[in-house]
Amino acid sequence: MNPHREKVSLSVVVPVCNERENVRLLYHAIKNVLEGMEDSYEIVFVDDGSTDGTREILQEVAQKDVRFRAILFRKNFGQSAALAAGFSRSRGDIVVTMDGDLQNDPEDISLLIQKIQEGYDVVSGWRKNRKDRVLARKVPSRIANCLICSVTDVRLHDTGCALKAFRREVIDRIRLYGELHRFIPSLARVEGARISEVVVRHHPRRFGRSKYNLSRTFRVLMDLFSLNLFLKYLRNPLRLFGKIGAYFLFVGLLVACAATYLLLTEKATFFDLNVLVTLVFLLFVAGFQFLFIGLIASLIVKTGERRGGTLRPYLSYQKRGKDG
Amino acid sequence: MDNQKSKRERNERLKISLIVALYNFAESVESLAHSVIEVMEALGDPFELVFIDDGSTDGTYEKLGVLGREDNRIRVVKMRSSFGESAALDAGLRYSEGQRIVYFSGRVRVNPKEIPKFLDALSEGKDLIVGWRSPRRDSLLNRWISRMFNGLVSRMLKVKLHDINSGIIVTYRSVLQRISFYGDLYNFIPVLAGQQGYRVAEEKIEQLPGSFRKSRYPREYLQRLLDIVTVFFLSRYSKKPIHFLGFLGTLFVFAGAGIEIYLFIYRILGMGPIAGRPLLILGALLLVIGIQMISIGLLGEMIIFTHAGDIEEYNIEEIIN
Repeated sequence: MNPHREKVSLSVVVPVCNERENVRLLYHAIKNVLEGMEDSYEIVFVDDGSTDGTREILQEVAQKDVRFRAILFRKNFGQSAALAAGFSRSRGDIVVTMDGDLQNDPEDISLLIQKIQEGYDVVSGWRKNRKDRVLARKVPSRIANCLICSVTDVRLHDTGCALKAFRREVIDRIRLYGELHRFIPSLARVEGARISEVVVRHHPRRFGRSKYNLSRTFRVLMDLFSLNLFLKYLRNPLRLFGKIGAYFLFVGLLVACAATYLLLTEKATFFDLNVLVTLVFLLFVAGFQFLFIGLIASLIVKTGERRGGTLRPYLSYQKRGKDG
Repeated sequence: MDNQKSKRERNERLKISLIVALYNFAESVESLAHSVIEVMEALGDPFELVFIDDGSTDGTYEKLGVLGREDNRIRVVKMRSSFGESAALDAGLRYSEGQRIVYFSGRVRVNPKEIPKFLDALSEGKDLIVGWRSPRRDSLLNRWISRMFNGLVSRMLKVKLHDINSGIIVTYRSVLQRISFYGDLYNFIPVLAGQQGYRVAEEKIEQLPGSFRKSRYPREYLQRLLDIVTVFFLSRYSKKPIHFLGFLGTLFVFAGAGIEIYLFIYRILGMGPIAGRPLLILGALLLVIGIQMISIGLLGEMIIFTHAGDIEEYNIEEIIN
């Protein structure tokens, strides 16, 4: 009998990286809370290539507690990868995620569960009273939240809060890679999840160092940009690229006509015409390029659909929506 | 200490598959087979010897056939034509069963006496060991090129290896199954393994006389260079092409747009004609390249996003409970 096969009602998934002082405290705190509320649960810690002895502590804890699962990465693969591993190697009907730095309070897990039981699929924490430095963390986080919410049609105050609860069905549909963990609510939204939030406590950091830095801003923006396009146009990319391409070609054609007119009526010098020709050249190259890229993009989407990539759950949600 | 001992004992029970890729090797295939078998028998661990004949035309296969009939530890796989070392290794993995893999090709004459040293390192806790031909006996030119190549690789890919394509690799089957090596990427197996978090090390080997490459075409160097770029890109940005291409593209678009806006103002204010200025063409060029980069980046994102179901970008060492 494989004990990992049987279902539990709740999994708590915690990605950690170099949190030596925190893991044991966090484990005990979570354990205390869960013992009081759930009959079947598991705690899953994913070690993302720690080098400070966190692994050894996790190994030790796992040997004593069968309800504790430690997943150890060979090296650092990033937070999205750690969450993805935790999701696919946990078996709870409800999955709660939290940070490994003790800033979230395990006591709040019950609040999230309550909300899930009210009928929501995803419940996010809202650190209303956040204990972090204002300029370095709170302000960027606020801006990112505004951007993410407005672009992806999710109404949350604090998408960056790591304390979240999900139903298993939602988790199984989301494919996390790269740095997509920042957009989990948005990705869940695409799958048709009902999303809510509850106010949670937040503590200042006691041990260890924060891994956040501002240099990621550009990458987050790029992710947001491409995600936005995908969510809108994934089913028909030609519509996006074709439209842009057509605009370019149209303007190019106009400029070409204007140039011909000026040439025939001899209203402009050759010198000025040269400028217009350069412009026409630029617009045509860009326009055709967008058209062709649109064609290739729709090819990619077609093949992805057939192979059952991320697109399929999205499409099946569309069907589910129709059925009720 | 205890851990290491148990690893050694566990390893001794794992069968060793020696996979040897050969191309036109008829002259010395027998002596190679005999000396390998001699060394392995002295070692005492269970083993098998798998020869891959990569489309030889000089009767290598016939000689291998004779060897294979004589000794049932020898297996011979004949490729229909020459498919290269990646394919040979792949075929070797498919038609062998050992969990410990020793791979080398006929192109570098590895002294079989060196093999136990590699297996030792494996038992000491490394996951993959690659050879380091030292001292090199090639021509001065080849040595220089190799040093430059390896220097470039270690700089760009952040690995500290001296001779990544020395031609001998000793590792576990699970490691090679984890890495996707196709085409010429086989040269980068140690690097790819390192990126998956495996412990990679190197062992010095003696380069036997007569193992020099006869000729190297310039084309091959360009190929190598492109391979480095491929590995670099695949490892750093394969999940997020837009992070790289979007960044570069934005720079180009800003530069191009800046130039054109400057020229536009210049012309509007009547400071002189701009058509004859090369700057105009340069601006257009930058814009085109920039737009192209961003579009290709988006395309890459799209490929990843639609195929995300197939991706598992992490490598788990151990799950407890």
